[in-house]
Amino acid sequence: MGTPVLQMTRDEIARTLESSSRARLSMSAPEMIRAYWDRRLVDPAEIADLLALVRLLRDDDPLIAAARA
Amino acid sequence: MPPRELRYLLGDVRTATARYLRGGDDSFDGFFDLASLLLNVTVMSEMGGVRLVAGESGVKYLAGWRGIQDPLPLTDGRYLRLIMALYLEKTDKGRLLKVDEASAQYQADREGKRWIFRYDYRRHPKDRYAAGHVQINGTLTETGASMSRIHFPTGRVSLEAILRLLIEDFGVPPREPAENWRAVLAESETEFLRIAHQAPSGPAA
Repeated sequence: MGTPVLQMTRDEIARTLESSSRARLSMSAPEMIRAYWDRRLVDPAEIADLLALVRLLRDDDPLIAAARA
Repeated sequence: MPPRELRYLLGDVRTATARYLRGGDDSFDGFFDLASLLLNVTVMSEMGGVRLVAGESGVKYLAGWRGIQDPLPLTDGRYLRLIMALYLEKTDKGRLLKVDEASAQYQADREGKRWIFRYDYRRHPKDRYAAGHVQINGTLTETGASMSRIHFPTGRVSLEAILRLLIEDFGVPPREPAENWRAVLAESETEFLRIAHQAPSGPAA
């Protein structure tokens, strides 16, 4: 049996990020990413799962671009 | 499931270890096989499972069966939120598998609001905390201060050490007899300690 791989689409990742960021941090996904980059999150490890989802996106993803804007 | 013969378990550890050390695309499978074996002989519930999660980038995550946000159910009814970022790095020995980040959080509830401790490792930390650290969701007896925001430096801690901690100190029931799980963890951890990257305890500037 081969290694089981869960392949997430870009839309699945973005949708999960948006809903989880709003539910747990009361901010949009781009706002969460920007807060992480700016080191404004009190404890990034608490949202290690969300940061992992971000890393599944391409660097030129619109969601990443929105965080840069 | 009846306990497996130790010699077969150790054989599986060596096969999986050799596979992930070889590098290339196949090393993801070797790493998955090894992590899955370690969890299955120790603390993961029979209902649990791990999976590789992939997206649009080249990074793959080892995580719970239903994805990155799915913690592993443990034999004590609690959970382990395990997230390990894996990637292939070009070296003079070929493309070798590296762990870029790892987070293992022991928690009482599925959502992680009642977390107990959390080990983190980052190969390239972007904040002021030690690259390898542990946080404990408790209170200092002497001062009454919360420990949850204290990042105790640990160096890089192996998955094997965390599994051993759960069994030995938190009383999580192991799936295999002690002579099996201890030998499996020791065999696997020996190789990890030989190659493990250690990062400094904080930024230089």
